[in-house]
Amino acid sequence: MSLLECAGLTKSFSGIRVLSDVSYSLDSGEVLGLAGENGAGKSTLMNLLGGVFAADSGRMIFDGGPYRPRTPRDGIEAGIAFIHQELNLFPNLTVAENFLAGSRTPSRFGFPDRRLARRRAAEALAALGVPVSPDTPVERLPQGEQQLVEIAKALDAQARLVILDEPTTSLTARETARLFDALARLRASGVAMIYISHTIEDVLRLSDRVLVLRGGQAVASGLTRDFTLDRLIPLMVGRALGELYPQREAARAETALEVRELSEPGLLDRISFRLMRGEVLGVAGLMGAGRSEMARILFGLERASSGEITLNGERVDRLTTAERIQRGMAFLTESRREDGLLMNASTRENLSISALRSLSRFGFVRRGQAVARTTEAARTVELHVRDSGVAVKTLSGGNQQKVALGKWLVVRPSVLILDEPTRGVDVGARHEIYRTIARVAATGTAVLLISSEIEELAGMSHRILVMSRGAITGSFEQSPFDHERLLAAAFGQGAGANL
Amino acid sequence: MIGTSDNGISAAPALVLRKPALWRRTLFSEYFILYLTAVYAAAAWSFIPGALSVENLSNLFSNSLPLLVVAVGETMVLITGGIDLSVTSTIGLASIAGGLVMTADGGLLAGSGWAAPAGIAVMLIIGFAAGLLNGIAITRLGMPPFMVTLTVMMFAGGLAIRLTRSSNVYHLPAVFHGAAAPAVMISVALGVALAGHIALDRTIFGRWLYAAGHNVRAARVAGVPVPAVITGAYVISGFCAAAASILYTARLETASPVLGQRLLLDIIAAVVIGGTSLFGGRGRVLWTVFGVLFVTVLDNSLSLMGLSNFMLLIVKGAVVLLAALLDAVRRRAAER
Amino acid sequence: MAPHRAAAPAADPPPAAFARAAPALLESIPALMLLAVLLGFGAAAPRFLSGQNLLNILIQSASTGVVAIGMTFVLLTGGIDLSVGAVMLLTGGVAAKMALAGAPLWEAGVAALLIGAACGAVNGAIVAVLRIHPFIVTLSTLYLVRGLGLYLTETRAMNLPPGVLQFGSARLAGIPAPVVLLAVVVVLAHVLLRRASFGLQVYATGHDAEAARRSGIRTGRVLFGVYIISGVLAAAGGLISLAQLGALSPTFGNQREFAAVAAAVLGGASLFGGRGTVFPGTVIGAVLVQTIENGLVIANADPYVYPMVAAAIIFAAVFLDSARLKKIRRLRVRRIRPATLAQRATDA
Repeated sequence: MSLLECAGLTKSFSGIRVLSDVSYSLDSGEVLGLAGENGAGKSTLMNLLGGVFAADSGRMIFDGGPYRPRTPRDGIEAGIAFIHQELNLFPNLTVAENFLAGSRTPSRFGFPDRRLARRRAAEALAALGVPVSPDTPVERLPQGEQQLVEIAKALDAQARLVILDEPTTSLTARETARLFDALARLRASGVAMIYISHTIEDVLRLSDRVLVLRGGQAVASGLTRDFTLDRLIPLMVGRALGELYPQREAARAETALEVRELSEPGLLDRISFRLMRGEVLGVAGLMGAGRSEMARILFGLERASSGEITLNGERVDRLTTAERIQRGMAFLTESRREDGLLMNASTRENLSISALRSLSRFGFVRRGQAVARTTEAARTVELHVRDSGVAVKTLSGGNQQKVALGKWLVVRPSVLILDEPTRGVDVGARHEIYRTIARVAATGTAVLLISSEIEELAGMSHRILVMSRGAITGSFEQSPFDHERLLAAAFGQGAGANL
Repeated sequence: MIGTSDNGISAAPALVLRKPALWRRTLFSEYFILYLTAVYAAAAWSFIPGALSVENLSNLFSNSLPLLVVAVGETMVLITGGIDLSVTSTIGLASIAGGLVMTADGGLLAGSGWAAPAGIAVMLIIGFAAGLLNGIAITRLGMPPFMVTLTVMMFAGGLAIRLTRSSNVYHLPAVFHGAAAPAVMISVALGVALAGHIALDRTIFGRWLYAAGHNVRAARVAGVPVPAVITGAYVISGFCAAAASILYTARLETASPVLGQRLLLDIIAAVVIGGTSLFGGRGRVLWTVFGVLFVTVLDNSLSLMGLSNFMLLIVKGAVVLLAALLDAVRRRAAER
Repeated sequence: MAPHRAAAPAADPPPAAFARAAPALLESIPALMLLAVLLGFGAAAPRFLSGQNLLNILIQSASTGVVAIGMTFVLLTGGIDLSVGAVMLLTGGVAAKMALAGAPLWEAGVAALLIGAACGAVNGAIVAVLRIHPFIVTLSTLYLVRGLGLYLTETRAMNLPPGVLQFGSARLAGIPAPVVLLAVVVVLAHVLLRRASFGLQVYATGHDAEAARRSGIRTGRVLFGVYIISGVLAAAGGLISLAQLGALSPTFGNQREFAAVAAAVLGGASLFGGRGTVFPGTVIGAVLVQTIENGLVIANADPYVYPMVAAAIIFAAVFLDSARLKKIRRLRVRRIRPATLAQRATDA
């Protein structure tokens, strides 16, 4: 008998149908890959399973009995662990204490057995190969290790079913390998898993069966070996995608941005490069190589102790961020939720916020102009929202990223720095963002594209710089790019440097 | 949340749009607090003799106008996600400082024709300075607004009392009393409210203020001059407190170091009940106007009913709580 | 083909010994400030540092300390309880009336604690269930409860039966009763916060209530609980204070909420929640607040200057605390490459 059987699940929010009659099943020790664009209903379906809210109709049978959780606690107690995208860890507590908070460790009259908790934490961590002591405060751990701790918690709680929602977004390749190792071990011990990820290759690699959602409905399901990437993507998107990366126009001969000997002890070492108008300059490197730090320094959010930054012929390294924006610089940050968007503000407000100075006269905002320019930007990023007055936090990840990008287009920048522009964005929206980048470059804007996906860089860039440990270790001029040498340069090795 | 039809697929059957029921529209309207106040006033005043007299109504207005002035400033601060606890002491300190300059009893400019204007200028400068101190401590020194404005409140309050050793200052110039004239009060209050509204609604400063209240880090990345904007909000708050002090002092015809002491609940309640969020990013001057009206009508009706001091406190506390409750329920229902 | 992604870089070079010790040093700002204030006043008036006076300070800070400990629980969840001063008045009034009517003192005390719990329950219920911002909830209950308190005491001062003062000046094994009570509360609170599951849940909820809920923590209960604790300890603090005063005036408890918040914040509690300790944190904060007041009296300072000096010192302490947090955050930033030339040589 299956471990989990769901039939006819339906859910609506404020009159809008989010899930329609979805049915699926799962056996012990089996991995179900859940695929679908943002907004297809994957998270909602999992939230039903995890007990975050209840279905309008349909039923779930878990472990032979009816399963109707009303709170996340019900889900946890039933043996279902939900590893969310946003980590559920408490940085102000140690690893072992995190295991205690709300978990099923034994306690006597409300006093938890700390020694037992530490031992179990140590065991779970060891099983995953995570070299972390249970007494470490979580806030001292890097993102990747925090995610592994989260999964170790699920291991320890002896869940029968583990739901993983985008677990690898912030993991390095080594950490991802460790994760997959651990998942294999979980699976061998009979734990069932549901794996959701934008990295379709991972989904195909890990899962036994696949369920594809589109528009709240289950449009396809079956054994993974019967699916390929080419078959999956159209099912998810509803149309053939064609070429993922758009055509590139040639770069121009004028220098938009020149960086010379930019250094900051402990962070950057004599970074020098030139960015031409109309060019897309990719910046490759391992996570932690210093690319985002460099971008923040270029933008004025942090200071460098030495070096020169010249924007359109003018030295800007002493200027504030606002002044750099006025001179034509723009920066799409790594995390839109943290500092890329005003989540509770409307689309309209978010789109106009950076360009207000140019949209005002004597301090008064000129509404007509603001509306015109933001509408134009929305069109450029192919953003379609029903109501530009609602808060952006209600939008899908792809749409949110488009708003974050769009606000910089309103400023009409001459240099656009993009840091992981397609992180957490589904396939369809990615395609549109790539088109936007190409379009923007074609009009003469210089684009600095920081990304951890070599395919993306190879597909979009005219040139690629490689950074490692705060220094530039390679420069690759021509497409097609040699992925192996790119990776080697990222590790700081090999003759990848065309410097 | 369901995505939109941006991928060319119809996601769900289209909603049949119908104008929502009248009670729904009223409950979720911006003017809800105004309706509530009107209903309450109608109910309460029909039972209280003398409520509708000219004397009482003018009393009501002269109570609400200075409160509105200081509440507008506080609204700005709340929009940034902060709070200004020091306004009550600023009112007292400004009052005393102005009094000491103006008073005929040996004040700095006693008897001079410049006494009143100088006194007013000094009061405004004090408000400005208090706001600047708050703003700089919060933005440059990175201290939490609650603690900063709390200590400034303690300090300013102590200073005010120290300056006159707890006594009041009398015999202020007659010209100064002119500020208590209805025409002057209305102009000042209206002027401040209008200026505040325009600033929030139409100017770049207003947009920046909301952005800083929504997410300080994102605002900074977007090019908003966050420290200047937040400091500006506190400066405006201090300035408004000083302006309110001018009106209160003129009305009382006395400069008192404890002038604003009882006002904290009224100010915060007026702003929050009106709809401005304590979390930041959300607020309007219009809402604060309604909130001020609510609080003053409530206050007025309670004192007319001849309630003893403690009954007043109990009822006021309970009503403010109920109003906050109602507001939260409304907000949540609207989101669904 | 799986997209190539970053692999972990090699381990960071070990931070300099100072960088490692710095956070520990910086953590004890409250203790350093206390030391500074003690020495400062000691220099101004030598008899300030006499054993008797220091003991006095401890006795006087017992009341504020107990209330501040209750406030710490609330602050840890990211909330605030502005009604504690009013609760002190109401519960003190109830106890006083009972004592004056002839009831045994312990009965009056228990009644006070129960009423404190009830007030806290009201606060907690509204904050937890209706999810209204604690600031506005407790500001309203402040007025409500103060009104009730004034009603009960008929806005008149009351002299308490002599037994109360006797209790206040009693000693247990040579230690004054208020200090004993403070110690008991500190121990109980410390155990609850650092050893029991409840404490963990408080820290978790304070850091991120949504994440706590998703982890299965009943955040509603946690919030409800901390406000009850705050109410009970406010009542307890009031009783300790009454035991030393021997009389209850209508202004009893006025502004005490600010003293409690100041004590907790000075002790290291964050107004955003998730950070802070009862011991040594809040205890040091309370003693610091009391030391300032005591010192000003001994130094024969102009009484009108008290609030100004207290405000300045608290300002300085909060400033140092904010600076410390900034420094800690900067020290913890991961270094990507060796910072010094010497280290760079070994890196190549």
